[in-house]
Amino acid sequence: MSDDEDYEKLAHQQKLKAAVHYTTGQICEEFAEEEEVTYSRQFIAAVTEAAYKQIQSYGRDLELFARHAKRMTIQPDDVKLLVRKTPQLHEYISQLCKDDEEDNGQKKKRGKSTNKGGKKKTSSTLTDTTNIGEDSSESRLFQDS
Amino acid sequence: MAGRANFKQETILKLLQMQFKDEKTRVSGDAQKVMTTLMQIYVSEAAARAAKQAKNEGTTVVGVDHFEKILPQLMLDF
Repeated sequence: MSDDEDYEKLAHQQKLKAAVHYTTGQICEEFAEEEEVTYSRQFIAAVTEAAYKQIQSYGRDLELFARHAKRMTIQPDDVKLLVRKTPQLHEYISQLCKDDEEDNGQKKKRGKSTNKGGKKKTSSTLTDTTNIGEDSSESRLFQDS
Repeated sequence: MAGRANFKQETILKLLQMQFKDEKTRVSGDAQKVMTTLMQIYVSEAAARAAKQAKNEGTTVVGVDHFEKILPQLMLDF
């Protein structure tokens, strides 16, 4: 019985890792085109493994942060705490949280009729994200410090 | 470029939930969105820095050895 459970848990983990691997591959493919390089299969597997370990550690931290604030639900503020040690990342994530808040505020105020406006907002935040990735300015910012 | 590949919120949520010790812990929608973006930035940074490292070494094939070199700083930054 417990063997079955273990097996199921393992299968679940493998599926999630496969999902991470797939997206990592996609992101790398985009970079490969932009930067005119090729990423080896082993590289993508290694990044997947690192990202997987990273999010596991994030998961443990987030639960503790929420518990410390006497909450049962993880809020964007907890994510801000998670990245507090990297100023550039902290600033970026804070801005993202602020945008989300404003978005929610607008939706509540105007109700259903503004769904279109809300959608527009999200897409503009997405372009912001993309711009940062596009010239990899973040990477440069990091390396300067 | 507007549609840069990103993780599914559901994947990120399940990965986080796997680590929770208390099953009553929830993740708010906004927090899920921000976490998804954070993981995308993590992978993008890894790819961008490794590409830069490979270029500095004069190759266009990015392998694990390049990742090994950028990993310590990546871990300090995230």
